[in-house]
Amino acid sequence: MPASIRQGVLDRPLSRAMTATVTMGLVIALAALFGVAPAAADERPGPAPLATGDASARPWKRYDGWPDRDASAFNSLANPHASPPAPTAPRRLDGPVTGDAGNGAKLVADRTRGGSCLACHVMGQAGNADLPGNVGPDLSEIGNAGLSDEQFWNYINDARVYNPSTIMPPWGAHGLFNDKEIGDIVAFLKTLKVPAKFATDVDDPAKRPAPVEKRDNLDPTTNPAMWAVDDAAALYKKRDASSGFACATCHGDPAARFSTWAAAMPRFEPRLGHVLGVEEFVFRHAKATTGANWPMESDENIAMGVYLRNLANGQPIKVDITSPDAKAAYERGRLLADTKVGELNFSCRDCHDPARGGLKWIRGQWLGEPKGQLDHFPTWRTSLNQIWDIRRRFQWCSVAIRGNELPPDAPEYGDLELYLAAVNAGRTLSVPGIRH
Amino acid sequence: MVEKPRIKLPPEAKKGEVIEIKTLIAHDMETGLRKDKDGKPIPRKIINKFTCDFNGKPVFSADLEPGIAANPYLAFTVRVEESGTFRFAWFDDDGTVTTADGAIKVT
Repeated sequence: MPASIRQGVLDRPLSRAMTATVTMGLVIALAALFGVAPAAADERPGPAPLATGDASARPWKRYDGWPDRDASAFNSLANPHASPPAPTAPRRLDGPVTGDAGNGAKLVADRTRGGSCLACHVMGQAGNADLPGNVGPDLSEIGNAGLSDEQFWNYINDARVYNPSTIMPPWGAHGLFNDKEIGDIVAFLKTLKVPAKFATDVDDPAKRPAPVEKRDNLDPTTNPAMWAVDDAAALYKKRDASSGFACATCHGDPAARFSTWAAAMPRFEPRLGHVLGVEEFVFRHAKATTGANWPMESDENIAMGVYLRNLANGQPIKVDITSPDAKAAYERGRLLADTKVGELNFSCRDCHDPARGGLKWIRGQWLGEPKGQLDHFPTWRTSLNQIWDIRRRFQWCSVAIRGNELPPDAPEYGDLELYLAAVNAGRTLSVPGIRH
Repeated sequence: MVEKPRIKLPPEAKKGEVIEIKTLIAHDMETGLRKDKDGKPIPRKIINKFTCDFNGKPVFSADLEPGIAANPYLAFTVRVEESGTFRFAWFDDDGTVTTADGAIKVT
């Protein structure tokens, strides 16, 4: 533990920074007197001062408009041992399954049950065959496959009894469908015997073209997130009432000082013992220097996160994963990307690794691969009229798969962001992005 | 945060040239048709009118309706015969009028 931790600030307490600034002010005045250009910035050598403690609201409260279901009975990235254990063997059935195929046809298209079977499977004409996904195999002729009722039943209840590495959610074991409903779905699946016919090519996930984002995301009349750049440029110069300091006091010309900085983030911070992303850094550093209170996910924090990356646009992402601590964090992030989360029991890789669900469709939504998922964050969401940073994106992934999110400054997200940045090494920043 | 409207127009043009002007303003464009969590209607609040004058003379205007998406973006063309200033105005349901200016030099 460094000796300089005092009153929740790591290194260089504010009083020293103030002294430095007064001195530098004198230097600048003298320089002006003698016609010498002053140094652009008043940064002192040594590590940046950082406030300790929480960098986002506690207790963490989910955003307005997000589903309020609690998933604490299932895994989160912070607690990967909450979900009930997988059954060890298929359940033996007393006799043939007697189910209502008509009700089964409704259930496979019921989006309220974790997205419906059609999210991942083509199933003949089920749900009128509109926009099925292709993460899982086409089941249009599964009725001809010669599966027993017991096999059908257990595949839906919990496919892990046959294939421990399956990415199919444990529909029965996690309580999304009850025994009778699974029976109804089995009865429906047994009726599927002819190849699917699609009304149009876009209904067929194999032919549906992948979405391409062609808008000029840096055109201020195209991307409303460009307002955040203006807002943050003003915040950068605004002196905080508590200290009289602005970012500009020490850092000078932002374009010169931050032309590459954000491309090397996130980074492992030894004084905190975890990975620090741009947004968490902004909160901790501003708190420790100017005194500004910009917690993560506040408008000011989001704006600064956009701005600092915008200043580094065009730079290739290049993060340190070679020092022993950073390497260990990267390794933790890699394992987190393979950690099953939520009632649907998905890991990041289940949906985004091209060997699994990546570069395929879940109904009308395209699952991108990890490479290409960072360089445009924070990004404008046209469907929501909001700017999302990468942490909020992580949070939404967890909630969308019926799990609980973590606070944005959770160390697990830091590890995951470092891993994602390493996967995206060499991709050039273009922030703010724009996405549906 | 209250955002300044965005204007994009060429700084210079030739006499008689047709130029494109792009405008964007930050606004929720609440339709009045949605309901809140308690089932009460959320009151309508939209930009209902947009005007563009050039040297005091109207050159373009639009009435906006509740179906227009948030952050209305309007692009239109104008033939310019002389140097001068465009005055853009957005009229909010609540009576607020937001204005912005843009100058052009015509040779």
